[in-house]
Amino acid sequence: MSTDERRQLARHERRRRVPEERPGPTVPARVDPLVARSQARPPATARTRALTLRSVPALPPPPAPQRSLRDVLRDAASELWEQFNPPLIREINDEVAERLRRVPTQINEYGFDPWGLNIDAVRRALVVTTLMYRYYFRVETFGVENVPDGPVFVISNHAGQIALDAAMIFTALVLEREPPRIVRGMGEFFLPTVPFVNLLMSRTGSVVGTPKNCIDLLRQQEAVIAFPEGIRGMNKLFSERYTLQRFGTGFMRLALAAKTPIVPVAVVGSEEQAPAIANLTQLGRVLGLPAFPITLTFPWLGPLGLLPLPAKYRIHIGKPMHFEGDPDDEDAVIGRKVQRVVDTIQGMLDEGVRQRPGIFF
Amino acid sequence: MQKVLITGIAGGQGQLVTRKLLQRERGYQVLGIDRRPWETRPRGVGMTLTDVRKRKFEDIVRRERPDTIVHLAGVRHFKAHPAVRHEINVNGTGRVLDFAIAHGVRQVVVLSSSYVYGALPENPYYMDESFPLNSSRTYPEMRDLAEMDMLATAYLWRHPDITVTVLRPVSILGYHIHSTIGRYLKRDRVPTVLGFNPMVQFIHEDDVTEAIVLAVERGVRGAFNVVGPGAVPLHVAVREVGSHSLPLPEPIVRPTIAQLFRWGLYPFPPRAIDFAKYQCTLDGRRFRDATGFTPRYSLAETFASVRS
Repeated sequence: MSTDERRQLARHERRRRVPEERPGPTVPARVDPLVARSQARPPATARTRALTLRSVPALPPPPAPQRSLRDVLRDAASELWEQFNPPLIREINDEVAERLRRVPTQINEYGFDPWGLNIDAVRRALVVTTLMYRYYFRVETFGVENVPDGPVFVISNHAGQIALDAAMIFTALVLEREPPRIVRGMGEFFLPTVPFVNLLMSRTGSVVGTPKNCIDLLRQQEAVIAFPEGIRGMNKLFSERYTLQRFGTGFMRLALAAKTPIVPVAVVGSEEQAPAIANLTQLGRVLGLPAFPITLTFPWLGPLGLLPLPAKYRIHIGKPMHFEGDPDDEDAVIGRKVQRVVDTIQGMLDEGVRQRPGIFF
Repeated sequence: MQKVLITGIAGGQGQLVTRKLLQRERGYQVLGIDRRPWETRPRGVGMTLTDVRKRKFEDIVRRERPDTIVHLAGVRHFKAHPAVRHEINVNGTGRVLDFAIAHGVRQVVVLSSSYVYGALPENPYYMDESFPLNSSRTYPEMRDLAEMDMLATAYLWRHPDITVTVLRPVSILGYHIHSTIGRYLKRDRVPTVLGFNPMVQFIHEDDVTEAIVLAVERGVRGAFNVVGPGAVPLHVAVREVGSHSLPLPEPIVRPTIAQLFRWGLYPFPPRAIDFAKYQCTLDGRRFRDATGFTPRYSLAETFASVRS
C-alpha cells in the first residue's frame, strides 16, 4: 500500500465516529408523542413576543417555534372546523369516540396497531359513515347480538357498485353491538396501488385479502369480513339483484384452518343504491378499472353520478355457523360447506326482500 | 476459547459486534478483516487490511482456522458500479462460504436484510422466512442482495455439515451504523409518494448486534427474520427522526429521482421508492423461538438514536 493510500485511509478512519464503551443504552423518558408535540409548540402570538422584547431588551428574541406550512394549515383547518362544526356532528363524534374507547385493539405508543389501524382515523371515518348510516340509508340492523366475541368470520353478499355495504356493516358493529367491535375488511388486490384509497383502507383496519393476512387476524382474535362474491357481486346488473353470484371457496378453507365461526350477513337495500343497466368491462379494462357500470346516473352526471340513491338499508345478521373438517379437503367437500353458507344468505335475502315495506322507506 | 472472524470488522456493525463479543462471559477471541483500518480497536483484536475478493483472505482463514465467521462485509450503497456490488456481495459471500467449508469453520453468520423480500402491493403483513425473495421484481438494483441471501441459504442443503445462519433484520437505525434507511430518513427533505404511507418496522443497531451475537452463541441454523419493537407508518418515522417528508405525486417523484440518481445527486435508485409505497413487514417469531431474542430498545429510543 502506498503512503498516499495509507494517509487517505487514516483520514477516513479519523472522520469515522468511533463507538465508545457505553454502560448501557441511554433511555430517554417515555413520553406520549402526541403530548410532546403539543408541548413543543407554545402558543406564542405576535403580541406576546412583542411585549417580551420591549420589557427585556437585552434578551435575544425567543426562538420562534418551528412550524412548517403544513402545521399552520392544519391548525387553521381545525380552527375553522371548530367554528362551523354543527352540534349534530359534534354529538356523533363524541358518541363514536366513546364507543371506540371500548374496542379492544393492539395500539402501540404511536397510535397504530400492527396492521396500520389508527383509532383517530377510524373515528373520523365513522363520523361520515354514521351520518350516512342514520340519515341517508337509515339503516336498520337485525340480529347484531349474533356476532360473538373472539375470532369471527363475517360473510356477506356484495352489491351496489361501490362498497358501501362494507362501510355500513362496519358502522353497525361499532354503533349497535355491545361491546362494539371493529371488523377488518379483506380488500381487493388492486386497492393498495391506489393513492389515498390504500391509506383509508389500512388506517381503518382493512388489509389485502391474502390468506396469510386473514389467518393472522383471526388468530389475533379479530373479526374479519369478506365478500366471497367479490367484484362479480358488486358490479352485477340490476336484473340479477338479490341473486348471489358464485362464491369463492377460499373463505371456507380459512375458517376451517383458523377454526372460527362464520356469521352470515344479508344486506337488503344495497342493490337499489345504484342500479346498473350495463357493465362495459372492456372500457373498464382500457381505463384500468375492474368494471365500468352504466347506472341511471353514471356516467351521465359525471362524478356526481357516483352518488348512490337513498335506498333504505336493512342488515340481517344470522346465527353463527360452525364448520369442522380438513381445510385441504377437495373442492367438492368444501363446496358443499360453502353452499350451506350461500343457501343461508340467499334465504335471508329472499326473506328480507319479501318482508320490507318499500325500497326507499 | 471460540475464535470468531468478522469480515467488515471496521464498519459500524462490525465494531459493535466485536465489542459485544468481548463483553460476553463465555469469552471469544475476535479477529477480522476490512479494507479500512480500525486503529482504536480493543486490545487483543487481530485485524488485517484485506478484502473478501483477495487471496490474502483465504490465507487468513487457513492460518487462523476460526470456529465462526460473521460475514458483514458488503456494499450497500448505489454509488458503486453494479458489477462491483455483484462481485463483492454475491461472489464475495460465495468465497467466504467456500473457504469456511474448506478450512473446517463450524458456523457462518451472514447478515442479509428484510429488503430482499421486496415491497410489493400484494405483500401480506408479517411475512415469515418461507416467503419468496421478490425484491428483484421491482427493484433490480438490489438483485445482488437477494442473490447473496439465496446463495447462503442454498448452503443449508448443499453442505449440511456446516451451520449457516442468515439474518434478515428489518430497517436498522443507530448512531454508529450508516444504514440505507437511516440515510434516507435523515435527508433534509425526505421524498415520499403522495397518498402512500406504508408501515415500516425498525430495529436499533444494538439489538441487531445482540441478534448476531446470539446467533453465534446458540449456533442456530437457517434463515431468520430479526424484528424490532414494532412498526409505524413511514411519515411518523420521518417526523420522529426530526426530518420533514416531501410527498410528491408518483408521476413526478419517479422521473425526478431517476434523473437526480443518474446525475449522482440522489443516492437511491428510483425503484427504491416502492419501499415508500408498500409495506415489507416481517414476522420474527422463528428467531425469537430459536434464541430467546427480544429487542431491548423501544421505537422511541430507536428513533432517538438518529435524531439530529
